[in-house]
Amino acid sequence: MGRYALKRLVQGAITVWFIATATFFAMHMVPGDPLASDKAVSEKIRANLEAKYGLDKPLLTQYGIYMGNLARGDFGISFTQENRRVNDIIREHFPVSATLGILAVVFAALGGILWGALTALNRNRMPDIVIMLLVILGISVPSFVFAALGQLTLVNINNLLGFSLLPVAGWGTVAHMLIPSLVLGLGTMAYLTRLMRSSMLEIMNSDFVRTARSKGVPAPRIFTHHQLRNAILPVITVLGPSIAVITTGGFVVEIVFAIPGLGRYFVQAVQQSDYTVIMGTTVFYGAFLVLMVIIVDLVYGLIDPRVRLE
Amino acid sequence: MSALLTVEDLRVEFDTYGGVVQAVRGVSFNVEAGRTLAIVGESGCGKSVTVQSMMGLIPMPPGRITSGSAKLDGAEILGRTRIDGTSIRGAQIGMIFQDPMTSLNPTMTIGAQIAETLQVHRGHSRQQALARAVELLAMTRIPEAEKRAAQYPFEFSGGMLQRSMIAMAIACEPAILIADEPSTALDVTIQAQILDLLRDLQRENGMSIILITHDLGVVARMADQVAVMYAGQIVENGAVDEVFYESAHPYTLGLNDAMPTNNPDAEQVLTPIDGSPPDLFDPPKGCAYGARCPHTMRICGPNNPGAFDLSPSHYARCWLHHPDAERRVDGITYREAAS
Repeated sequence: MGRYALKRLVQGAITVWFIATATFFAMHMVPGDPLASDKAVSEKIRANLEAKYGLDKPLLTQYGIYMGNLARGDFGISFTQENRRVNDIIREHFPVSATLGILAVVFAALGGILWGALTALNRNRMPDIVIMLLVILGISVPSFVFAALGQLTLVNINNLLGFSLLPVAGWGTVAHMLIPSLVLGLGTMAYLTRLMRSSMLEIMNSDFVRTARSKGVPAPRIFTHHQLRNAILPVITVLGPSIAVITTGGFVVEIVFAIPGLGRYFVQAVQQSDYTVIMGTTVFYGAFLVLMVIIVDLVYGLIDPRVRLE
Repeated sequence: MSALLTVEDLRVEFDTYGGVVQAVRGVSFNVEAGRTLAIVGESGCGKSVTVQSMMGLIPMPPGRITSGSAKLDGAEILGRTRIDGTSIRGAQIGMIFQDPMTSLNPTMTIGAQIAETLQVHRGHSRQQALARAVELLAMTRIPEAEKRAAQYPFEFSGGMLQRSMIAMAIACEPAILIADEPSTALDVTIQAQILDLLRDLQRENGMSIILITHDLGVVARMADQVAVMYAGQIVENGAVDEVFYESAHPYTLGLNDAMPTNNPDAEQVLTPIDGSPPDLFDPPKGCAYGARCPHTMRICGPNNPGAFDLSPSHYARCWLHHPDAERRVDGITYREAAS
C-alpha cells in the first residue's frame, strides 16, 4: 500500500510538471503580454519593464527561472495587481473555492447514491420515473443556468417570506454555502444518480443477493450489507474525475454568486495575460486534482478488497 | 417413514412480455427425514422454480404461485417466511446454488457471510457467530479455517467457495438442505468431493437433502428417491433403484440412453432425444412428452395421463401403464400385479 501510494505520488508530480510546462508555453504563444494592456507606454518604458520582469530574456531561460522558483514553492508576483504575491492570492482565496467544491462533491455523491438506490428499488414506478426525468434535466442544463435560476428563486422566496431565509450572494456563513454548492454539484449528482441506478439494478439481480435472501437476511440488512456496498463501487471510480469537473465548473458559480474564490482571479488573469497568476492557479489546481484522484484510488481499496494493493 | 416435507399440486406461473409461462404445473412429492430426493430434468423443466418457490425466492411479480401447498412437519410454508416463530429461509431450510463464484458477496469476508446467518436467526453476537463460522468452515473441511474465515471470496477456489456456501447453509442446522446443481460449475474431481461432503454431513446431522441436477451420475451416487421432471410436471417418481433399473417412463429411458457410461468395453451408442421441450406459454393438452415420445398412442395427444402406480413408492405418468394398453415396449417396466 505504502509503495503503491509513493508510486502514484511520483507519477502525480510528473503530471503536474507536464501541466506546468504545457501551460507555460501555451501562454507565451498567445498574442499579447501582461504589459500590452497598459496605456501609452513608450518604447523606452516598455523595454525597462520587460527587463525588470525578465521578459526580455529568451523563452527557455524564462522557463528555467520559472521552474526553479516553482520547485521552491514560489509562484512569483502578480503583473497586474500591485505587489501581490501569487502565493498570497492562492492562500487567501483557494480555501473558499475548495470549501465550495468539496461541499458540492459531497452533495453530488450523497445525492447520487441516495437517488440512484431509490430509483432502482422503485424501478418503473412513480419515484423512478420522476427522478429520472429530473436527472435528464440535470445532466443537460449547464450549471450557470442553474446558478441564475437558483438565485432568482431565492430572491423570490426571500421576497415572499419578507425576510432573508438564505442569502442570495456573498460568502462567510454556512447559509451562504448551501445554494451555490448545491447548484455546483447538481450536474454531477444527476450523472451519479444514473450510474448508481444501473449499478444497483445489476446488483439487485445478482446471485449473491439471492444467496443473502436464501439465508433469511431481512431486506434492510440486505440493502446495507450486500447491495449498497457493492453498488457504490462504480460511483467511487468516477468520483476522482467528478472532483475535477466540479472544481473547474466552480469558476462560473463563484462569479454568479459573488463568492471570493480563486475562480475570479483565474478568469481575470487569463483576460489580462497575467503570466504569474495564470501559471500559479493552473499549476496549483492541477496538483490539487491529481492529489484528489490519487486519494480516491486509495480509498477504493478500502471498500473493494479485490483492488487492495501490496 | 413419515414425510418431513410434503409438496402437493404446486403450480407456478410467470408473467412475461410473451405471455404467461406455466413453469411448474402441478408438482407433488415427499421428502423423508434424513433422506435425499433428487429432482432430475433438462434445463427449463421447472426444477429450480419448484424449490425456489418453496424458499420464497421467486420475484413476485412477475412470478405467481397459483395453487398448491408445501408442508414442513405439517406446517404450511408457501408464501410464509416463518413457522412456529422460526424463519424458514436459512433456519429451517438452507440452500446452496449452482455457481459459487458469483453466489457470495465479493466485498464481505467468508467468515462474516457465514456468521450473518447465525446473527440473523440465532441472535449470536458478532464474535460468537464468527467463532462458530470458523468451526463450520472446519466441518466442511477447509484447511486453516481461522485464517480462511478472514479472507474474501476472490481468494478462494471454486470448490472452497462451494464448501463455504455449504457451511453457510447448514449454520443453523436446517431440517432440509436444498442443493440447486451444487456441482455443475465445478470440475469433476471437485464435484466428487462436494458430493461426498454433502453425504457425510447428512450422515452426521440427519438433515434431508433436495438435490436438483441434470446429471444422472450424481443422482446414482447421492439419491434415495428420484423425481424426473419434464415440462413442469413430475413424470416418474420412485426409489433410486426403481427409477434406474425399472424405468417406467419413456422420458427416463431416453435420458438413460443419452448418457455415456464409463465402461470402455460397452458398445454403446448415445441416442439423443429428438425434438425440443414443449412451449410452456401454451402447454399441450395431452402428454407433454407426446411429441417426442417414440411410443406415442392416439390417446396421448388429447389426454394428459395421470399417475399410474407401479409400487407403493413408484409411479409414472404415462398411458403405457393403462390396463388397456398393450404391454410391448422394450425397456419399460410394467407393474407385475396387474397382469
